[in-house]
Amino acid sequence: MPITLSVPWENELDDKRSELKKIIMDTRTLPTLPGVINKLNTLAEDARASVQEMAKIVSSDQVLSARILRLANSPSYGFYRVSTISNAMILLGVNVVKSLALSSSIFEIMEKNSVGLWEHSMGVGVAANMIARKLALPECEEIATAGLLHDIGKVIISLKCSDAEKRILSIVRNQEKYMIEAELEVIDTDHAEVGGWLAKSWFLPDKLSEPIAFHHDVTRSVNHRIKTAVVHIADVLVKASGFGDSGDSYVPPIQKAAWDMLKLNDELLADLVDELEDKLVEVRNFSIEMQG
Amino acid sequence: MQKIPLMLATAGMVLARDVFRNDSPTGMPICGKETVLTDALIARLDHLDVQSIYVDGHPLNQDGERKLEDLLRDLDHRFEKVRQDPLTSKLYDIYADYLKRSMGE
Repeated sequence: MPITLSVPWENELDDKRSELKKIIMDTRTLPTLPGVINKLNTLAEDARASVQEMAKIVSSDQVLSARILRLANSPSYGFYRVSTISNAMILLGVNVVKSLALSSSIFEIMEKNSVGLWEHSMGVGVAANMIARKLALPECEEIATAGLLHDIGKVIISLKCSDAEKRILSIVRNQEKYMIEAELEVIDTDHAEVGGWLAKSWFLPDKLSEPIAFHHDVTRSVNHRIKTAVVHIADVLVKASGFGDSGDSYVPPIQKAAWDMLKLNDELLADLVDELEDKLVEVRNFSIEMQG
Repeated sequence: MQKIPLMLATAGMVLARDVFRNDSPTGMPICGKETVLTDALIARLDHLDVQSIYVDGHPLNQDGERKLEDLLRDLDHRFEKVRQDPLTSKLYDIYADYLKRSMGE
């Protein structure tokens, strides 16, 4: 019998999980981020870039422009009659336009999937933003975007392995398990990890990919634990509220590490719940507006 | 008291809080609390781009025709796996309290 030399992780490369990784990450069929977003990211880092230059890039995408103008003119932003992209960028700020561009493309990808998951994701984006502001954290916009994207792995699993998704959902329903447990059982990975892979393939920065990949276990985050902890708490809050449909029927436990890291307490948590419930009404309106 | 989208407001509902213009949430109210809504008034608020209002009682059951007991039963179900968890059970208590307050008033 020939002796095969192998180290454990080499075996792992041959298993179901890496097979799936290959299928899931097949770039020919993976949804791509519109080139506009990558160009915007590059320009935003260049201190010499003018708002006009960025506006020109956004304007090259008609659908995106229309959506941004519609949102900039929607009463929830409080500005009225914004008719040019460069005005929208000056009024809303480059970061907001960037998040709008990103969330509008994510919506495009999710739309074909399910409104419930979109609402859950929007809810977590809003909740993450609210928590970040309440705790006076830097980069609230980025944290909100990470919240919006945190379940993107579920979209990919559904797009790429719809049979596996059916089995996962049936386990969740019939065996009263968390989605993440059912995913591990069926595909030997979970939506957080898949989302992390996708974030990498989209070249999203760590501050987005870590909260996506580790929102179920913040201790695994290396560089952006606080942001990851915010997204974790936001996810638990939105599931507790019963808003939208993440696919999970049960509220996951609040991780002690996240609670400690954000220095939460009972009073703060009660304030967050009150504020969130108020905001979720607006999210539902926004969702109706996006679908309309 | 319940916060509802203006598009779901109907004549006869009573404002529970002052309504402000969207673009100046700290300015002068455009409609005082305790005002009884009429179709004309709702149209006017809509014209002023008001998105949502607070009304007395709990006239809308956004999740269909559901009562407090049903909402609490759903809450119990959602928290089934974490009722023993010290941190998450705090969240349960806060939500149970929230539901009772928002449905009771």
